[in-house]
Amino acid sequence: MNHDDLKLELLNLPVKYLHQMARGRIHRHFRLGKQRLVELILAFPPDQRLAIEAELQQIQKTRQERLALQEARSAALPKISSPPLRSKVLSPKGKPNFGPPQPSVNLQQILEGIGVPEPMPFVPDPWQTEAVEYLAHSDVIVSAPTGSGKTYVAIQAIKQAMALNQTVIYTSPLKALSNTKFMEFTQLFGSDQVGILTGDRRDNAQAPLLVMTTEILRNLLYDAASGEIDLRLHTLGLVILDESQYLADPERGVVWEETIILCPAQARLLLLSASIGNPQDLAEWLQAIRPIPCHLVRHAKRSVPLRGLYLHPTGQLVPLFRNQDIHQGKGYHFHPETKRLFAEYEIKPFI
Amino acid sequence: MPPAIHPVDLIEILRQHRLTPAIVFLTSRRACDEAIDTFAHSSARVSHQRSETIRTFLEKFAKDFPSIEHHPLIPVVQEYGVAAHHAGHLPSWKIAIEELMRQGLLDAVFATTTLAAGVDFPARTVVITQSSVRKSQDFTDLTISEIQQLAGRGGRRGKDLVGVVVITPSPYIDLHILGKGLTGYPEPIDSQFVVSYPMVLNLLKAHNLDQIEGLLAKSFAQFQLNQRSAIHQDHLDTIQEQLQPYGPRECADWVNQWKVFDLARRRKSHRQPLVNNDTPFLTACLPFLTPGRLIGLPKGPAIVLRQYRSRGTFAPMLSVVRAKGTIGECPAHSVTQIYDRVFEFQPSRTLPWCPPHVLHQLKKELSQLPARLPTVPILTETQEADDPLLAEVLTEEFPCPTCPSHSACKKDFPLASKLRLKSQQLTKTIQALRDGLWHRFQQKAEVLHKFGYLTAGSQLTVDGEWGRLIRINHSLLITELIRMDAFSGIAPGLLAGVMASISHDDDRPGSYMRLPSGLASVLTQVRAVADSLSPYEPPPLLRSDVAALAERWIGNPQLTWASLVRSTSMAEGDVYRLLARTLEFLSQLYGLKVTHPGLADIAHSAMVAMRREVLQELP
Repeated sequence: MNHDDLKLELLNLPVKYLHQMARGRIHRHFRLGKQRLVELILAFPPDQRLAIEAELQQIQKTRQERLALQEARSAALPKISSPPLRSKVLSPKGKPNFGPPQPSVNLQQILEGIGVPEPMPFVPDPWQTEAVEYLAHSDVIVSAPTGSGKTYVAIQAIKQAMALNQTVIYTSPLKALSNTKFMEFTQLFGSDQVGILTGDRRDNAQAPLLVMTTEILRNLLYDAASGEIDLRLHTLGLVILDESQYLADPERGVVWEETIILCPAQARLLLLSASIGNPQDLAEWLQAIRPIPCHLVRHAKRSVPLRGLYLHPTGQLVPLFRNQDIHQGKGYHFHPETKRLFAEYEIKPFI
Repeated sequence: MPPAIHPVDLIEILRQHRLTPAIVFLTSRRACDEAIDTFAHSSARVSHQRSETIRTFLEKFAKDFPSIEHHPLIPVVQEYGVAAHHAGHLPSWKIAIEELMRQGLLDAVFATTTLAAGVDFPARTVVITQSSVRKSQDFTDLTISEIQQLAGRGGRRGKDLVGVVVITPSPYIDLHILGKGLTGYPEPIDSQFVVSYPMVLNLLKAHNLDQIEGLLAKSFAQFQLNQRSAIHQDHLDTIQEQLQPYGPRECADWVNQWKVFDLARRRKSHRQPLVNNDTPFLTACLPFLTPGRLIGLPKGPAIVLRQYRSRGTFAPMLSVVRAKGTIGECPAHSVTQIYDRVFEFQPSRTLPWCPPHVLHQLKKELSQLPARLPTVPILTETQEADDPLLAEVLTEEFPCPTCPSHSACKKDFPLASKLRLKSQQLTKTIQALRDGLWHRFQQKAEVLHKFGYLTAGSQLTVDGEWGRLIRINHSLLITELIRMDAFSGIAPGLLAGVMASISHDDDRPGSYMRLPSGLASVLTQVRAVADSLSPYEPPPLLRSDVAALAERWIGNPQLTWASLVRSTSMAEGDVYRLLARTLEFLSQLYGLKVTHPGLADIAHSAMVAMRREVLQELP
């Protein structure tokens, strides 16, 4: 093996193997960079050269075996495979090659699976049916990520309560959301069954299903407590508070608390909330202040898996994380390519 | 900050990889509008067929909501299939965009992060370009829940197999905040319970004080306070346990006893002078050895020029002028006589320590001295009896020095006193956590009593009965204004203007409008009242430009929405929100029709005048 060949081989090797070779041969090798290590290894006298070459071959052999093993494993389990860690391909000059996109990041593979699913009959998830079932004899808090089907729970619960001739109140934090829900429910239950109460709108207030903002419900409960109006509280069977994470809103959060405290005892509470950190606290609280038990339905998994991509300002698209799908609570490792590109961007933001 | 990538390129890339429809979250409204502007004349057009579909949809939509008919963004939306969606737009426009998005007719919506909190319209892809968001003048990092709210818009159930989050850098982005946000667990939520004046009135209307204390104890705020106090309680228990071995000894409260004893001991030691080697006689002499004093020295009489301390031994020294006219130094203890004679002069700080002509005069005086001069009698003070007395007190009143547990107390005192202090602090904290909410309620009730909404027995007065119906921010200001009759016979427009300026708490700058003189004087009164109430209720911004805007809308029924919006630099959506909020405040005043029929009438006519065009088109 001539000098240049050996140099190229060494440069293509991950630096940890170079350290392995340098152990016992080069003083304080762990302080050195790759370039310097290679230089020092090449500068050994010819009598040690043979030993080094033998070791190098040994290392290359074990590496190939390991890579083959990895490939076999990834072939067996295609789902959880991460894109193979790309070792930097080095040009003979020994400089890292920042060039056009390398084929090692397989775009096809990343973008695979994006598309429209086959139309399927809707089957409720177990947590959804669980929430509706528990509502028969306890309050329920649902904490699930956005878009995972909390509205389905609400609709089933409304149906269940209306079958028992009970009044249902549905509240949302925003007037716009109330209007949307009102239209949605009108389509579902018929216009004579749904009413709406907002700050300046009052339609069909005698309907069994009332949509309102939480502030309005709070005001109604205050008025009912002082005996001024009759809100048919005795028939009130279910109160649904959508977007309950507003409880932590600095300005309006207090309204949710007042509503829950003043909510009549015979009515069931259904709290629908985006994922929050401490839903069990909320559940314990309800359990403590309400005469009926409270059941917490916590669903962390998204119904549609989420994938992360990094788009470089040059238009290069690479995976964001080493794992393809984003999972909660397992930590994160950025894809090396993302790291490299982002570092490049931070040095030179305007391209 | 806009993203580093050009918006047109961004959309092209997303289209190319079948990643549309997408929601692109940008930092500011301006960034969204500018991104849309860059599309003009670009080649990123949608197919002609889709463009037609969007056109027919918007035309049909404009029949129900005429306010969007001439929206400036319509050509871009039709041609390029992209739109901007932020709080600066009218709700009707936002509904139109959401509907277009739901039908899959748009490729991208450029939105601010406020979108994430409100309405629900998902897309296949979410593009995040920022890791921080502007909150009242300052940039704060996005929280994990906020990032997950953003990311949650990605992936439509039933329409997508996979949702995608695309991160593309803009200046000041921090990748790790986003990484953490996407993969972490959301933060726990905390109660934001505040006791407001209407809450106090409404609770007192229906319940007595005991019941209210129970109701407040049922709040999530109290639940969380109890949780925290439970942690403190655990801590307190362990400290109490550690305090066990330091129970009563010879005296029941030995820690306190030792503390006082220790203090007395230390004070005693401090009474001893630090460095003073002067004899009592010398100490008594020194006050007399002032500049100008005639003294007797072994070599003859002299006059003191200055007194000072020697550098080395700190001994008192004198500079004197002698009969020969020479200036010399001598130690103070060498003074043999102090005569009852002082020559007045102005001492100076440098040699010869007095003005030169005085020196000459002093020399003359010294040569003309009479033979006998009266001397000053020096009384030597006896040593102060303080120290022995204190020593006596220490031994007599404190049994500590002779107590059998003296050494044990001395050893344990530092630790025991530290533990005891901590346990006292914890007890206080726990008490404050347990009673905090109830105290806040009582404070508010006291203020209401002071202003005459409550009787001394916490019953609602006549004013309280109607005051509780005002359940909005700044309720105290509004009820006080009503009680002052500030609104009697006011024009509906002026009332709406005042309500608008009270309700508007956004400091986004707006343009200054010419203020009608009537409104200006009313606003000045309101501002004075608000300032006088500031110890009890934070005053509203009371911006006059928004007041003028609302006044103009109501005062002039012929004014069109377009010309109203043209007269201000506020965004259309902000004007809409301002008027909608004013409407809400007015409807609260209208709710007082039983007790204040006149005011309710004015409010009602203002509401009627307000509801036209854009304000009427939404259901």
